[in-house]
This record gives sequence, C-alpha cells and structure tokens, in this order.
Amino acid sequence: MSTCAWHRIALLLLAVVSLLSLAGTVAAKEIKLEAQLVWGTNDEKTDNAELKPVTAEVEKRLKSLPFKWQHYFEVKRKQFTVQHAKTQRINLSKDCVIEVKNLENDQVEVTLLGKGEVVGRIKQKLPDGETLVLGGNAANFTGWFVVLRPVK
Amino acid sequence: MKLEQVLKLQSYLDGEMPERERRDVAGWLDREPQARALFAELKTAREALTGNEPAPALPESREFYWSKIEREIARLEREPARAPRANLLAWLRRLLVPTAGVALLVLAASVFIWPSGAGRGAGAFESSMRDTGATTYRDHANGVTLVWLSYPATDHEVDYEAPPRATR
Repeated sequence: MSTCAWHRIALLLLAVVSLLSLAGTVAAKEIKLEAQLVWGTNDEKTDNAELKPVTAEVEKRLKSLPFKWQHYFEVKRKQFTVQHAKTQRINLSKDCVIEVKNLENDQVEVTLLGKGEVVGRIKQKLPDGETLVLGGNAANFTGWFVVLRPVK
Repeated sequence: MKLEQVLKLQSYLDGEMPERERRDVAGWLDREPQARALFAELKTAREALTGNEPAPALPESREFYWSKIEREIARLEREPARAPRANLLAWLRRLLVPTAGVALLVLAASVFIWPSGAGRGAGAFESSMRDTGATTYRDHANGVTLVWLSYPATDHEVDYEAPPRATR
C-alpha cells in the first residue's frame, strides 16, 4: 500500500475518532433519576400503613448487598430530571435531603444532607442499570437507605 | 594591418570617433587601398546585420505584453512566501499520521482490552465524607454501589433511639 493511502487511512481514522469525541460532547444531556428513601428491617409488617414494600427490582438490588435485612419498605419515592450541569434538590424526609448535580456522560454528584448539614458527597456514573445506594444504621437494628438510579 | 588600426576603422564606421581623429582616418582611407577594402567589408557586414535584424511581431498589444511579464515577475516573487504552506502541510501530515495511529490504538484498547463493565459504576466512583467511618461496597454483578455511613438516621419515619453499630 502506498504512503499516500496510509495517510488517507490515518486521516480517516482521525476523523472517526474526532466525530466520536464530538458525539460524546453532544451527548451531554439531561438525566432522569429516581430517588427512594428505604427502610430495611426484618419485620414483615410495619406499624406505618403508609409504607409499602419496595419494587422487586429495587429489592433485588438491596438484597444483593451484604445485609441481614429481609424486608425493605419504601418511605418516599421521587422521580426527577436534572439538566446538564444543573443541580436538583430532593427532599426525601424532614431531615434527609439529597442534591444531585448532572456532571456529564451519566456522571452525577450526589450530596447527602442530614438535618441541613452535608454528610458526604459522591461522584458516580449512573448509566442505565446502575444503582447508587447510601445507607446507615437506624433504630432497633434496622437500616435506612437512599437508593438512586436512572429511569427512562 | 594592426589590430589597433582595425579597431579605429570600426570606431570610424560606428561614428564613435572624435572629429580630429575622424579626419586622420579619412585621410588614411584615401591613401591606403587595404584600409578602404577592410572598411568596405566592415560596412557591408554592419548593413547586413542592421537590415536583417528580426523584428518579432507580437500577437497582442505592447502594454498587454509587458503586463504579462510584470505579472509573471510578481508571481515568481510571491513563490517563496508560498513555500512554507507546503511545509506546513507536510508537517501536519507527519503529525497526523502518528496521532491517528495512537487514536487507533486507543480505540482498539477501548474495544478489546477495556474490561466489560468498566467505566460504569465503581470505575468512576469518587466520594468525600464527613463521616470517617464510611465504607464503600461494590456489587459488579448487579451494578450496585453502596456507601455505608455510620451517620444515624434521625427522621421521624424511622424511630431513632440508640443506633446499633453497623450490621454488615
């Protein structure tokens, strides 16, 4: 193959890579997420009639984690959309708030606030099928969870 | 005949001689038949050259002809300034060829070497916690990342009294 042909192939490849990069840039878009505040317990039923079991999909993911709890109840669920480079504040309870910033390429920055104070900040890619869970111990050997995942 | 005398005759013929010398040469030509013969020969040659000098006829006007020459001179003068452009193109080619090669390698690496699932979830995880007891767990199979905090829940939905330690 002649040098000229190699040059053409190289230039073509460069153009393809450039277009892919451009497509990646253009792909910076809004992200639609679902946030849930979940309570984990071994009790089959709860005194709070408003609490209902989490969906099978969320339960499967929570049960994939190394915890003892058998039952997970949905305390609050909110779906929201975050525009690129914007931040959305979601109140999940009186004291539990998350702020989600859409960075780029499915990456989000999640800030967890407890009683109005920042507890922690996490950067995580959340493409379809990915789930971010924040959790901690609660009373009576139970647990609390914030489950964040993309929805369509 | 000496060379000096031949040159004098040529000078006389061309009219380039001072008046006094001209008179001397004229007298000499009257006296010397050999000088007259040479003078006649030089005169014939001069007339032959003058009469037969080619006079090229231009197919265009004089102004246009010279303007073409002027443009050509200007073009040749601009030529060195264009040379760096050719060098720049060559330089770009030299740069683009290895760059494209590297891009190809990166592309191939991303397709063949990058482990499946990388770039998703844990691959891009980054956290900063006020809670120094926070730990992270990753379930690759289900695509779940867990950040476990020792921070207690205090909201009213979960009856918080005295939180037990982590139950992992």
